[in-house]
Amino acid sequence: MSMKVNIVGAGVAGLSLAWQLAQQGIEVEMFERGSKVGEKACSWFAGGMLAPWCEAENAEPVVLEYGKASLVWWQNALGEDFVDAKGTLVFAQQRDKKELKRFARRTHGYEVVGHDVIASLEPDLASQYQEALFFKNEAHLDPRKALIRLSEVVQKLGVKIHFEQEIEPEDLLPEKVVDCRGFNGAKALEGLRPVKGEMLLVKTNEISLSRPVRLLHPRIPLYVVPRDNQNFMIGATMIENGHGNQFSVRSMLELLGSAYALHPSFAEAEIIEMGVDLRPAFIDNLPRVERKNQIWRINGLYRHGYLLAPYMAKLAADSIINDKDEIEKLADFKLKEDRA
Amino acid sequence: MKIFLNGMQTQVDHTELEAVLVQLGYQDVTIATAINGDFVPLSQRKHTQINEGDKLEVLAPMQGG
Amino acid sequence: MLDVYGEKFSNRLLLGSAQYPSPAILSESIKQSQSQIVTVSLRRESGGDLAGQAFWQIIQDLKLKVLPNTAGCYTVKEAVTTAHMAREVFNTDWVKLEVIGEEDTLQPNVFELVEAARILVEDGFKVFPYTTDDLIVAEKLLQAGCEVLMPWGAPIGSGRGLNNPYALKTMRSHFPDTPLIVDAGIGVPSHASQAMEMGFDAVLLNTAVAGAGDPVAMAKAFNLAIEAGLLAFEADPIDARDMAEPSTPMMGKAFLS
Repeated sequence: MSMKVNIVGAGVAGLSLAWQLAQQGIEVEMFERGSKVGEKACSWFAGGMLAPWCEAENAEPVVLEYGKASLVWWQNALGEDFVDAKGTLVFAQQRDKKELKRFARRTHGYEVVGHDVIASLEPDLASQYQEALFFKNEAHLDPRKALIRLSEVVQKLGVKIHFEQEIEPEDLLPEKVVDCRGFNGAKALEGLRPVKGEMLLVKTNEISLSRPVRLLHPRIPLYVVPRDNQNFMIGATMIENGHGNQFSVRSMLELLGSAYALHPSFAEAEIIEMGVDLRPAFIDNLPRVERKNQIWRINGLYRHGYLLAPYMAKLAADSIINDKDEIEKLADFKLKEDRA
Repeated sequence: MKIFLNGMQTQVDHTELEAVLVQLGYQDVTIATAINGDFVPLSQRKHTQINEGDKLEVLAPMQGG
Repeated sequence: MLDVYGEKFSNRLLLGSAQYPSPAILSESIKQSQSQIVTVSLRRESGGDLAGQAFWQIIQDLKLKVLPNTAGCYTVKEAVTTAHMAREVFNTDWVKLEVIGEEDTLQPNVFELVEAARILVEDGFKVFPYTTDDLIVAEKLLQAGCEVLMPWGAPIGSGRGLNNPYALKTMRSHFPDTPLIVDAGIGVPSHASQAMEMGFDAVLLNTAVAGAGDPVAMAKAFNLAIEAGLLAFEADPIDARDMAEPSTPMMGKAFLS
C-alpha cells in the first residue's frame, strides 16, 4: 500500500501505532523530542503491568474488555518470551483485611489462595501472608525494555525515527499526521488533564519476586514489580492537580512505608531511581482517538498505556488506512447504564 | 531574584506580584494568592511587592469533601 | 426546605467532590444525588499545567452552590487565610471550616475552630463549622456567630455511621432552632436516614459515595435515603416499646374455640 504516515511522539502510543501501521506495509516516519527512546516518555515510568482484571476495580469495564487482548498483542510485537505471564498477587496486611474483601468483591478472574499457594508462587512472602488473591491470567513486561525493543522492531520494518525533533503536528501537513505526544500535546485537546505519578526503582538481594505484587491500603495502594538484576519498581502515586517534576517527601514516605510493610527486607534496599511524570487523562479516564482532517490524535491513556495502547493503535490504524471519520469512542459503561 | 513558588525555588524577573504571576503562566485563570502566609486579594496584586526569598502560594479549585 | 444563612434548598444532601474514580463519574454522581450543595477545596496550582482549571469547569457546569472547605488546616491562621483565598476563587462567602487537631482521627481542634470561626464571621463569612457533638463547643460556635453547626457522625472517611446517637439526639434537642448538619463518618444510606429521622436538617458526606463500587448508583441511594429519613421525621415516628401491641383490631373478633 503506498501510504505515508507521520507520528509525533515515540512513547508507548506512538510506537504501538507505528508497529500496527508498518505491519501493513505503510511507510511511517516518527518524530520524537527526546534524544533516545523513552527519555521523555511518560510510559518510561510505567509499571508495565498487563493487569486488566485488577484495574477493573475502579476503571470502566471497557478497560478490562480491551485490556485483555493486550497480552497477545505484546507477544506478537515483541516475541512471546518478552511478556511474563505469571499473574498478579494481591495482598493486604492483617489490619487492612477489609480492603482485600472489598477488592475481591469488585473484581473477578482471581482465586483466593492460602499460605501453601503463596509459598509456591512467592516463597519470600509466605511468612508474611496467609491469604491473597491470585489473578492468574495477568502478565507484565519491563516497559523500558519493551519500548526499546518495539523501536527496534519497527525500525526493522522500515520505520524511520528522528530524535530531538520537537515538532508540531500541523508542520507535517498535508501528509497524514498522528499526534501521540501525551500530556505534552494537551493544548490541542480539550479537557486533557495531568495526573501526576511518582515511582521508585530500588535494588535489593534480600527478596525475590517473580510477578507483580499489589498491597492494598486505604490510603495508597501500592504495587511492586520485579525487574532484572534484583531491581524492583515501586509505584505509583496518583495525584490529581499534580504539577512539576518533583518527588514529594509525602509520596516518598507513603511508597517506601508501604513497600516496607509489604516486606521488611525493602528497608535495606538501595534507592536507584526516582521517577516523576504526568499521565494524560480525559474526564472519564479513558483514552481516545480523534481525527480532524489529516491529523489524528491518540491521547488520554492515563495509567493504562501498555494495557490500552494496542487497542488505540488498532483503532487509529483502521481510521487512517480506511479513511474513516467515525472512530469508536470507548464507552463509559458505568455512566451510560440506564438508571432511570 | 529567587522566590519560593508553592514551596519550590523559582527565578522571577519582576517585583510586582501581578507581573510575577503573568511570568509564571497564571494569566486569566482562577487562582488565589498568598505571600508568606498572608492572603493577597486580586485587587491588591498590582500593588503588592514580592521580595527575594518570599513564599508565594498560588492555589486553585480542587476536589474536596 | 433546608434554610441556611437565608438560602433555601429543597435537597438535604451536601456532597463532597473528592476521590471519585474519574471526573466523569464525579459529575454524574452529583447529578444523580440531586444535591444542590457541593464541597470543594483549594490546592497548589502550577503555572505550567493549570490542572485545577479543568476540575473547576466541571463544577461550574453543574451550576450548584459550592461550599469551599479548609481541609488540612491545623491552625487558626492557616484556616483563616485559606478561607479568604477560597472566598475569592469560588466567589462565595460560605466556608466549611475545618481545623484539624490530630492526624489519626482527623478530630477537629475545637479551640482553634472557635477562634477561627469568630475571626471569619467578623470578616463577613458564613461559617459552616465541622465540629464534635460537644454542646459547650457548639454554644461557643453560635456565640462566635455561626448560624449552622456540623457535628461529626464519626471520624472523616471512617464510614462508621453515627458513633454516638445519644449525643447527637441531645444536640438536636438542645438546639431546636439551629440548622444542624451531620458531617463525616457516614458509610451507608441507612446512616443518613437515621440522622434525618432524628431531625437533623441535612447530611454532608463524600467517601461513602465516591468510594462505592458504583458511585453513581450510591449517590442516588443516598438521595432516596435522606428523603425517606426526612419524611419519616416529619411524620412523627412511634416510640419503641418493650412489649408487643397487636396491630390488628381485637374488637368484634369471633370466638371460635
